[in-house]
Amino acid sequence: MDARQDDRTATSPAAPAAEPAPGRRRWLSHRARHWAASYAVIGVWVAMIAVYAAAEPGLFFRVPTFQTIFSSQQPLVFMAMALLCTICVGEFVDLSVPAVFGTTATILPVLVVNHHWGVWPATVVAMLAALVVGAVNGVLVVVAGVNTIVVTLGMSTLLEGISLWMSDLNTISGLPASFSKIALTSVGGLPISFYYGVLLVAGFAYLLAFTPLGRHIRFVGASREVSRLSGVRVNRIRFGSFVAASALSGVGAVIAVAALGGYNPTTSDSYLLPVFAAVFLGTAIIEPGRFNPIGTFVGIYFLETGILGLQLLGLQAWVSPVFYGGVLVLAVTISTLLRRRTT
Amino acid sequence: MTGSQADASAPAQQRLEVAHLSKAFGPTRALRDVQLRVAPGELHGLVGQNGCGKSTLVKILTGVYTPDPGADIAVDGRRLALPIRPMDQRQAGVAVVHQNLGLVDDRTVWENVRLGRYQAGRVLRRINRREEQRAVTEVLDRLGRPLDVNQPAGALSAEDRAAVAIARAMQDHRPGGGLIIFDESTRALGRSARSRFFALIRSLIDGGASVLLISHQLEEIVEATDRVTVLRDGAVVAGGLPTSDVDEAALTRMMLGRHLVTHGRVDSHAQDAVVAGVRGLATSPVTGFDLGVRRGEIIGLTGLIGSGFQEAAEALGGARRAEAGQLTVQDQVLALDRRRGSTEEFIAAGVAFVPERRLDQGLAAELSLADNLTLPRVRRRGGRLRIGAAWQAEETAAMIAKLDVRPPDPGAPVGTLSGGNQQKVLLAKWLAGAPNLLVLHEPTQAVDVGARHALIDAIRDAARGGCGVLIASVDAADLAVLCDRVLVFRDGQVTAELTGDLAQDDIVHATFGMAAPENEKSATKRRAG
Repeated sequence: MDARQDDRTATSPAAPAAEPAPGRRRWLSHRARHWAASYAVIGVWVAMIAVYAAAEPGLFFRVPTFQTIFSSQQPLVFMAMALLCTICVGEFVDLSVPAVFGTTATILPVLVVNHHWGVWPATVVAMLAALVVGAVNGVLVVVAGVNTIVVTLGMSTLLEGISLWMSDLNTISGLPASFSKIALTSVGGLPISFYYGVLLVAGFAYLLAFTPLGRHIRFVGASREVSRLSGVRVNRIRFGSFVAASALSGVGAVIAVAALGGYNPTTSDSYLLPVFAAVFLGTAIIEPGRFNPIGTFVGIYFLETGILGLQLLGLQAWVSPVFYGGVLVLAVTISTLLRRRTT
Repeated sequence: MTGSQADASAPAQQRLEVAHLSKAFGPTRALRDVQLRVAPGELHGLVGQNGCGKSTLVKILTGVYTPDPGADIAVDGRRLALPIRPMDQRQAGVAVVHQNLGLVDDRTVWENVRLGRYQAGRVLRRINRREEQRAVTEVLDRLGRPLDVNQPAGALSAEDRAAVAIARAMQDHRPGGGLIIFDESTRALGRSARSRFFALIRSLIDGGASVLLISHQLEEIVEATDRVTVLRDGAVVAGGLPTSDVDEAALTRMMLGRHLVTHGRVDSHAQDAVVAGVRGLATSPVTGFDLGVRRGEIIGLTGLIGSGFQEAAEALGGARRAEAGQLTVQDQVLALDRRRGSTEEFIAAGVAFVPERRLDQGLAAELSLADNLTLPRVRRRGGRLRIGAAWQAEETAAMIAKLDVRPPDPGAPVGTLSGGNQQKVLLAKWLAGAPNLLVLHEPTQAVDVGARHALIDAIRDAARGGCGVLIASVDAADLAVLCDRVLVFRDGQVTAELTGDLAQDDIVHATFGMAAPENEKSATKRRAG
């Protein structure tokens, strides 16, 4: 509607000649607004760091603070990318992402510690379990046509129950120290797992921007009918997105378990909201109004900076749900408004 | 045109009085200064080709669209606030029976009729079922069609469904007043049901109501209505003409007029070599459709809506799974009853389908012009790991220049372009793949004159390059200008094949199922000679 309106006024023959380039000015202001929308959150991030640095001079603005921020969020990075997989193809929200993560992270130490398996065979089995869950989600949603939210919510609860049963409600720990190397080897002051996340995000962004598959994914997300009539195998891509989501959750879980040396299956739940908050916050960064990997990546560290700063100020554990929940609602509102403005 | 006299002081008060009604969608003007007067107790017809603005008019009368400033709509002399609010419309006694009747199939007759009017109890807000059913039974009895009000609407015959929709429109009807608009509602009725339908309408009119009947069936307009208004290209060409003075041929002529831009017919580019063949296509309602398409030949498929020409085009374009049939393009055989969801094989064989609803089926509005244009070829032309920027930029630039897409910005989201430019992008998306068989569904629908020009040139250019072209359209002007031959569908069968020097009138006559009357024929001859 807006565009139509613009069009009419821009081409109106009644526009006085005294104003030679209203279209150009509009275009420039449009560009400026677009740029501002793309980087606003990054500006807020910098401002937030400045405020914390001023409020707690000796405490916040130190290298260890940033090491903490950048070395602690790998599970979220993998899960957020997993969630993006399905959101990008227009399958709204795969709620089972944290549960797949939790199940993989439980199977691996249970097999190694309780059943004395080798670490690598256990990893393979845990990953296979994740892939099977993804395939089941895919079949139910794509082939059988069941509502995505119902399938993944049910799957999520089911998997959490199974994880609790496998672990007998205990934290399983005691993985061999050598296994932790795959996650904790220090590179430039940060654990190597941080760079896995960077690689994953960069790869995902490249896939979406430059490859035929990524272009197809974008179109399936925008319109299934348009994609189908353009020769895109829509259902294959939708199915693939569920399997990929589970695979990424699984890989993230293996890395997290290696870093922690074990896993507490009751913690899976707590990841759901941060993952959502980051993915939706990402729609207000870099590509406004559109789900995108780099924006999501920035969103994750933005959220963690905010929470860590508040905790260093002396606020307690209640801070993180308040912050995550508030940001989620705010981010979705902003991105909805942006989208309405640009289309 | 100089409608500035005080219409309000006209001696006889009109039931519906529409004046100075215009509506523009961006650069396209759907309605231009439309005047419409329906007298009390009158059966008034409204006719015009598809896209002439009839449905826009109905949507304004029902409050879906807001007319451009300056419009006047009055019922029984009382002006209505614009856009029309549903409450005002109901209070003024205006009701509409829509094209598809608007029934919810799995709800009962009484629920459908009373939708939006349910009377609920004071305390528990429970719908007073018995009272509702009684009211509905009463209305249906008044219509002379007693029905079991507890059966689901989906279980009824087409005729009874129409009666239910009419009952819904009529329930608030006060004897001696009211206006009921029938928007193509007779399409669902069979021939025998139709005569009973008109008896029903007559009884409404005898009770003092007015009826505005919008229909494609010129025959029933001439037979049943008192006066008729003809719309063409959004403007009234004949307002309130008594139907005793006109026949179907005269109406046709008024509906068609002459288009502003008449492309001269150019020589056919058809070659002898056959590029595509259709064998035994069956897709409801089409049965046993065969066709051979030569290189460079442009074939039109037309008929009334529902006659099957659209379904045939969709099946041949790969958009719809047919019940049977096969399409041979070059030497590749494609099963039209295939199970696969995507059109991948069709595209690989060189079939391109330009669908009718450009923003639902053709283009993704939020993505860029370049992304949309290159989509069908990103896998074929791109590497697995990289689509490659060069060919995309080149192809997009070439197509923007060829079809004069404006603004020529490859990065602009398609949704920000005007309708005509979107249609150009949609055609370009498929022409860029140099198809063997191009299937077009309403390729110039709702575009301005300039865009139509560019589209027609591009289609001809494709034919010159050896591409076989099928155009499914109700636009006789387009077909006359573009096609080497036109196949006219009726009830799923091709009932006429027009070749040679095509005249719009012949196409329309064949579409509406009439033999061209004598004076028409001689006119055609004169033009030819």
